[in-house]
Amino acid sequence: MKAFRTLTSLVVVFAAMTLTAFAAPKSIKVATDATWPPMEMVDANKQIVGYDIDFLNAVAKEAGVTVEFKNTAWDGIFAGLDSGQYDAIISSVTITDERKAKYDFTDAYTSIGQILVVPKTDKTSKTIADLKGKKIGSQIGTTGAMEVKKVAGVESKTYDEIGLAFEDMAAGRISGVVCDEPVAAHFALQKKEYKEKFKIVGKAFTKEGYGIVVKKGNKELVDLLNKGIKSVKAKKLDAKIHTKWVK
Amino acid sequence: MSEHTSPHTPIAVGDGAAIPHKNDAGLFTAWRIAFFGAIVLCLFLAFGRPDQYMAIFMFVPDGILVTFKVTIGAILLAIVFGLIAGLGRLSTNRFINGAASLYVEIIRGIPLLVQLFYIYYALGRFVKIPDIFSAIIAMAFCYGAYMAEIFRAGIQSIPKGQMEAALSLGMSRSQAMRQVILPQAFKVVLPPIGNEFIALLKDSSLVSILAVSDLLRRGREYASETFNYFETYTVIALIYLIMTLFFSKLISIMEERLNEGR
Repeated sequence: MKAFRTLTSLVVVFAAMTLTAFAAPKSIKVATDATWPPMEMVDANKQIVGYDIDFLNAVAKEAGVTVEFKNTAWDGIFAGLDSGQYDAIISSVTITDERKAKYDFTDAYTSIGQILVVPKTDKTSKTIADLKGKKIGSQIGTTGAMEVKKVAGVESKTYDEIGLAFEDMAAGRISGVVCDEPVAAHFALQKKEYKEKFKIVGKAFTKEGYGIVVKKGNKELVDLLNKGIKSVKAKKLDAKIHTKWVK
Repeated sequence: MSEHTSPHTPIAVGDGAAIPHKNDAGLFTAWRIAFFGAIVLCLFLAFGRPDQYMAIFMFVPDGILVTFKVTIGAILLAIVFGLIAGLGRLSTNRFINGAASLYVEIIRGIPLLVQLFYIYYALGRFVKIPDIFSAIIAMAFCYGAYMAEIFRAGIQSIPKGQMEAALSLGMSRSQAMRQVILPQAFKVVLPPIGNEFIALLKDSSLVSILAVSDLLRRGREYASETFNYFETYTVIALIYLIMTLFFSKLISIMEERLNEGR
């Protein structure tokens, strides 16, 4: 009888273990290009941090999954999704028609716009069009780069990382940088090397929404993430994350 | 020039594309297959599949021009750097010799990619150099070190008797170097310089990280907005292949002409 009891308890423990293994939250792999402060960046401890990271962690918690972040270069971040190296991208990705044609997006989780940063020595320029005949920098393949290319007469220069564009402007090789509002604010208003040199001009001139990107047809994951986003917004957790990262 | 005064000294340096010689039948056939195959494939893609490929071929030509500018600018400057440093390496003056050797050792010990970042961004804080020029200077600085070794080996391959004979005719050392040694050395160094040229053409793709709009950068810009990664990089690879094969052929023809003069 005792032996039987031990056996049953063993079976119960084993079954419980297997069950928890199955019930354990699903983990998703998510790519981010951590060169876009304050949305996603690498901190002094080599950890990926930022608005998007906190936001997705909150969403995942609401949706009952865990997230593993993978720092991936922006140029080719979509190709990695195609080849299945990760399940999703959260990297300040603007929802555009061109991108929607190839990938699926969640609902927009925050809205931003493109804005122009110029050196303080430039007293006149307010828009991209004011910089005709000059070079304007942006990150390769971003909506900022697309906006620069739309203006005839301006030479577009694309960089692998937006930080390199700002550095090139500090070296005097380009006359302006176009990027997302919060990123512009981070470089032009907060970074101490650049605060003295750069200024933001005019207002944001586009209206864009960030979405989380998944492979075309991955409805299950989109639904799961949308459920999480709704819940985060209902609890107003996103407002807290916003004040934490975007000043 | 008689055969024994100028022994053909092969110098194996660099990782350039194999340069086909007339007597190397296997490689010669391979060259033809690759070169004409690549051209036919390009034409087929551009005109047979215009929806996907024509736009790419229309997008990249100014990038090809930049790639050429960087390559040709860098090779010319590298030859100058290399000749100076190569002569410096042979100098009996301890200071000049030391400086030239230090340059070669330091540059050969730093990856080209790091040098590009360094010259472009780190030095950009102190000196203002336009983007394409800093790319050319960085490439030339790096390749100059390899070129120096080619020149040194080329000059050393000329038999000592040549210099002795020139000196005994009453020439000064520098006159002998310019009029007797260097003309012979140039013939010896031409094949390895050709190799370096092709290696440089390929390495010039690294300047795309400096936001220089070369062929690779144009391709990356196209791919990152259209997401046609496969199509774009197929075209970029084919264009680089056609360029390197074209130049390797050109160099082999130049070599043959030079050998005919012997």
